[in-house]
Amino acid sequence: MNESAEVIALVGVGILLTALYLQSESFVDPLIRGIALQSLLLTVLLGWLAWSRGSVDLAVLAGLAVGVRAVFIPYVLRRQIRAFRWRVREIHAAHRVTGHALAAVALAIVAWFIFQQTLASIFPEPGAALPFILLVEGLLMLATRSNTIVQVIGYLEEENAVVYAGALFAQSFPLFVEVVVFLDVLGVVLVGVILSIQRDVTGTPEQTVLEELAG
Amino acid sequence: MIALDPRLGLFALLLAPSAAAILSLIPDARASQAVARAGALVAFAAAVALLVDGAAGRWGPYLGLDALSDVFLFMVTAIYATSIWYSRGYLQGLHRPFLTPQVYYALVSAFAFAMISVLVVTDLGLMWIGVEATTVASALLIVLERKPASVEAAWRYTLIASAGLTIALFALLLLYTATGTLDGYRLAANPPAATLPIEMAVALALVGYGTKVGLFPMHTWLPDAHSEAPSPVSAMFSGVLLPTALYAFLRVYQVLPEPTPAMIRDLLLAFGIGTALAAAFLLQRQRSFKRLFAYSSMEVMGLAVIGIALGGIALYGALVLIVAHAFAKSAAFYCSGTVLRATGTNRIDEVRDLQGSLPRTGGAWVVSGAAVTGAPPFGTFLGELLIVVGALEVGLVWVAGVVVVAILVAFLGVNSQIGRMVFGERLPGTRPSDRQLDAGWGYAYLNLAFALAIGIVALPYFSSGLRAAATLLGGTPP
Repeated sequence: MNESAEVIALVGVGILLTALYLQSESFVDPLIRGIALQSLLLTVLLGWLAWSRGSVDLAVLAGLAVGVRAVFIPYVLRRQIRAFRWRVREIHAAHRVTGHALAAVALAIVAWFIFQQTLASIFPEPGAALPFILLVEGLLMLATRSNTIVQVIGYLEEENAVVYAGALFAQSFPLFVEVVVFLDVLGVVLVGVILSIQRDVTGTPEQTVLEELAG
Repeated sequence: MIALDPRLGLFALLLAPSAAAILSLIPDARASQAVARAGALVAFAAAVALLVDGAAGRWGPYLGLDALSDVFLFMVTAIYATSIWYSRGYLQGLHRPFLTPQVYYALVSAFAFAMISVLVVTDLGLMWIGVEATTVASALLIVLERKPASVEAAWRYTLIASAGLTIALFALLLLYTATGTLDGYRLAANPPAATLPIEMAVALALVGYGTKVGLFPMHTWLPDAHSEAPSPVSAMFSGVLLPTALYAFLRVYQVLPEPTPAMIRDLLLAFGIGTALAAAFLLQRQRSFKRLFAYSSMEVMGLAVIGIALGGIALYGALVLIVAHAFAKSAAFYCSGTVLRATGTNRIDEVRDLQGSLPRTGGAWVVSGAAVTGAPPFGTFLGELLIVVGALEVGLVWVAGVVVVAILVAFLGVNSQIGRMVFGERLPGTRPSDRQLDAGWGYAYLNLAFALAIGIVALPYFSSGLRAAATLLGGTPP
């Protein structure tokens, strides 16, 4: 394995570990730190790829990853927790994290197996399955958590997965930087606007089953 | 007749709603409304001109038009225009809305601009950005009425739609890796061989964009957002946002060579049948009339996907159904808005005797209920009939049977509930609705007239545009 492949594989394993950690945590503050760490690891990977390939686009993506997803959005999320005057543990997930963690590991194995059966021949690089695993882990988080702040973290994980895949496989993907900027704008809209409205109207980040939304 | 230069039409289509989105923010509310209305009318006029001229071609690396985009542009701008015009009365009835009228009109115009941009670009990556932009522009519109349920609906919509679109983006990454380009028009003209990565890209695009179309089981955002959004926005969601997302999928689907690979066809059939049946049965137990119509839209999208899977005459039927449904469903939501405003409730069991209290709106509601569920002679009937005929033509009798069951179940579910609300005896203890609030029905009848005209193929230009669009997708118009 050459030096570049080693860096890609090593950082990729780190990203995967953060994804599994996020599934097994119910305290919100460590979750925010976890996604910031994952974004930081992605920044390292993007920075390395930008340097080794001499790509300006990848350098911009690295800047966006660290600026928006490792610093800005986590900062806003932590402020939201304080503004909600709300305890730092997700109510409904607290007693289910063991199940979530086991499901996350099982899902990672299934995603890896599916990737090997279908796409491995086109993407033979080591660690090529990791972005796909990260995508399904993000989807799992969105599907299993009922706290809106934690769901934002699931969304950020999905975005990290897309950027990760784009950087590894589709280096000349047209308008990729613009696409990522758009995803970041949506992320900021989510945390900055809708969460604030939710705070004003409901006063809690926990989603409830509203009678009007039944059926 | 003097033909409009397509570049001028394109320019007007893009400039009018974007300028309206910016200029609507001026402090004066009446001027803001006038600007928004003017922007919508200019966009509609441009779309009509492009459709009549059958505009097709490419301008620069990213802009282009063909028969399919002409038809969808006509549909989107028509519903955009009537929704903007209908909004005035609706906004007047709101108590302490979350958005000022200026911001409301700006967001609706931005929402329309995002949908139009999806339809006029040739690059699948830009198309994806346009679909994502519809989420950003419309999410805040859902919370207009400042209710906890609205906030939760907006949250679910943003999160679930974005999760789906992330999958669609993965599909585009895969497609680009396999083909080296995202130029949708070029790929459609010279389709690559149907290798596993291409088929996987199309399958992922179906799941990704299908989330925004409201396909089962990724549909969970749809009834919430449609029921909690203000009625003119619900009309745009049901009438044109779902078809716009389906259009984005169709552009990826076009990449496949003929005949459609069995895996993709089976996947489309599975999603279409699952959606049509699930929606038809779920709508039976709805307590809110806006959720009832939301599930009805989902059922229609399911039928359209079945038509796309079957190809041939059924594909033409799917396009007729999508366009006629857009007009009929927007009419149904305009009536819903008036009823909601007059009665103060969206619960089916709390609304009765509309024939006495809101006779004009009640009448339009009955007709629009029939139109959205495929009653003859509306275009929805023609579309659904062609899908059934198409299934029989290719020997899939069981599919035809399932489609007929879904249509009948949805027809009975929707029309029995509307009948109860319009013709049922007034409930004891309730006061009659204010007749002065019996407004907005004119827009409903206008759109119903379009749905009817499509059914009896009274719009020759439109009919030729639809035929050309179906041919472009590999369908065979009658």
